Amino acid sequence: MGLDYAAVEKEVCKKMTAETIVSMIRILVFPGALFLFTLAFFYEWVDRKFFARLQNRYGPLHTGPHGILQPIADFFKLLSKEDITPHASDKLVFILAPIFYFALPLTTLFVIPILSQTSLISFEGDLIFVIFAFTLIIITVFLAGWSSINRFSTIGSMRAAVQMLGYEIPMGLVMVGPAIAAGSLSISRIVEWQSLNFWLILLQPLGFAVFTVCLLAELQFVPFDIPEAETEIVAGWRTEFSGRKLALLRLGRDLELVLASALITSLYLGGSQQFWLIPPIVIFLVKTTFAVMLLSLLRAVFARFRIDQMLSGMWKYLLPLAALQIILIQLGLGG
Amino acid sequence: MSYGSIIKVPFGPQHPALKEPGNFLFEVDGEIVVDVKPRIGYNHRGVEKAFELRTYIQNIYLAERICGICSDAHTTCYTQAIEELLGVEAPPRARYIRVIIAELERIHSHALWVGIAAHEIGFDTLFMYVWRDRETVLDMFEMISGNRIHYAMNTIGGVRRDIHADMVSKIKKGLDLLEKRLKYYLNVVQTEQTILKRAVGVGILKPKDAVDLCAVGPTLRASGIKNDVRVDDPYAAYDEIAFNVITHDGCDVLSRILVRCEEMLESIKIIRYGLDSMPEGIIRVQVPMKVPQGEVVSRVEAPRGELIHYAKSNGTTKPERYKVRSPTLGNIPALCKMLLGGYVADIPIVLAGIDPCFACMDRMAFVDVKKNKEWVWTMQQLRRKYAKK
Repeated sequence: MGLDYAAVEKEVCKKMTAETIVSMIRILVFPGALFLFTLAFFYEWVDRKFFARLQNRYGPLHTGPHGILQPIADFFKLLSKEDITPHASDKLVFILAPIFYFALPLTTLFVIPILSQTSLISFEGDLIFVIFAFTLIIITVFLAGWSSINRFSTIGSMRAAVQMLGYEIPMGLVMVGPAIAAGSLSISRIVEWQSLNFWLILLQPLGFAVFTVCLLAELQFVPFDIPEAETEIVAGWRTEFSGRKLALLRLGRDLELVLASALITSLYLGGSQQFWLIPPIVIFLVKTTFAVMLLSLLRAVFARFRIDQMLSGMWKYLLPLAALQIILIQLGLGG
Repeated sequence: MSYGSIIKVPFGPQHPALKEPGNFLFEVDGEIVVDVKPRIGYNHRGVEKAFELRTYIQNIYLAERICGICSDAHTTCYTQAIEELLGVEAPPRARYIRVIIAELERIHSHALWVGIAAHEIGFDTLFMYVWRDRETVLDMFEMISGNRIHYAMNTIGGVRRDIHADMVSKIKKGLDLLEKRLKYYLNVVQTEQTILKRAVGVGILKPKDAVDLCAVGPTLRASGIKNDVRVDDPYAAYDEIAFNVITHDGCDVLSRILVRCEEMLESIKIIRYGLDSMPEGIIRVQVPMKVPQGEVVSRVEAPRGELIHYAKSNGTTKPERYKVRSPTLGNIPALCKMLLGGYVADIPIVLAGIDPCFACMDRMAFVDVKKNKEWVWTMQQLRRKYAKK
């Protein structure tokens, strides 16, 4: 009966403060926002450098060793540039769109296990959240283009929306594949399942292929860079953005690249798992770098499709392939 | 897809797909182009007038600067015209050198175009690769003439520089490399699915339309019509060299790409033959400053098609009238025909398909479309009307 309530309260408070600080650091610094920004800039450099080498160019060379600091330099240069909001634009949406475009992939990355096999935020159904976030990103793109009231932006945002109709359903379908195999809708569980069994790329190669193609469309990489086809519609949906807004849009794109590569890694390549003495974070970085290079390679070897060709291709070939993968899993193959 | 309402979409004068200013006003129904109105004149430089103010020797260098890409075609055409007025003929060795330079230029121009066409359909890797290999030709030019683009090889009565024996072996080495690379690109263009998707059946120009609308050069030959000034009206040493006129009958963008790729391979053969059978001798003859009275029309097959120069002399050291009809101007009506009924997304590649060169082509005329009237203004009248008061 001699419980000292005050002392217990103090103890709990102390513990909570420590916990808060730790989780604050985890969210803001490592493996949270700051780490993800660094990763985003680094992967932009990997993408640019590898793409350039494939094209027999040098790529970034000037800032830092092998131009590794170029994306950061670009970012800060854009921050210092004049920020123009066109008179005719829908100002509120125009200002909010870049913030959303940057915040959405960043938030989504928190559900992906990076440091260990469980992510910062993990709950049953976070896979559904990722699918939902991908859709939200494209809706933001649409709003960004639509609100700038520019001929090219409008065409670009329309194309982005139409393109989404093409790749979203096959992508959603194949993302369910790993979930069926692991028996859980949580990405952390899927990663855990893969560490106990096989990597899912071995069990569901078809799903991996479809997912990669869909990610190319999501990232608006060649051959699906239709919403920002340079020679047709200038810069597409982001024609009117400049200064800080453009910097945010670019960082958002880089974070999207991180998200895409992290998803490929987590769903199909076994995610961040301990291998022998190597810590999971290193394994994760190696795998995601490989995924980024795969996406760069694919974007170097094709010409751009026309929007109607892209749509019919997605519905005619990709959707049946995605459905076939799910059927195969149900038949006991690949699950 | 048709939305039932027609939207006017301007294309240019400033647009990433156009490297030079030109304006096309499209009337678009959904994604389909229903009408095109071209408007040229944004890059008018008054070259024809400048010809009248300079001596015949100075005009060689002016002619060279009509176009940055086909600079040799223009000087060949110019010197040919003046040589005819003077009644002199370039020595045989000079005529062979002219052929060699003209064909090297064709390779460099077509390679440039293939790169741009790839860029228009978003295939930047092919663009980079082709332009890298194009450097081989530019290096050859630098070796022969000291310049990469404006070679200044032609002069009235011959050529200014000789091609020596040590250059010949270097050129042949470069040609071997080029041939290997070009065959590879030809294979890529014919087999890569995304290129075929964007190029087959796009920008159709039927043979009859091509003839009716006076299309020229590779654009005409891609519609299956055998027409080449080098064969029809041989100049320089083309009458002594056997080669094939490449035609394709797909009438679409793919045919235009294939015609140009195969023409490059044909050019390599011509250059090899020319280097081997070049006669020894002088490379130029002296000509008087004053050109006797008369008028002349001279034709050359430039990389983009048939190039026509017209000169009128009044017996002084300067021409009285000079007229240039560059191939792009001849292709504009055909271009409008190709664009009709196509997709908006195909506009850049179809536009690039004729290899437009707006700076060479731009002409100015005062026209009142409503009153159907045309007139000419002098410089003074122009100044009075438009100069800042």
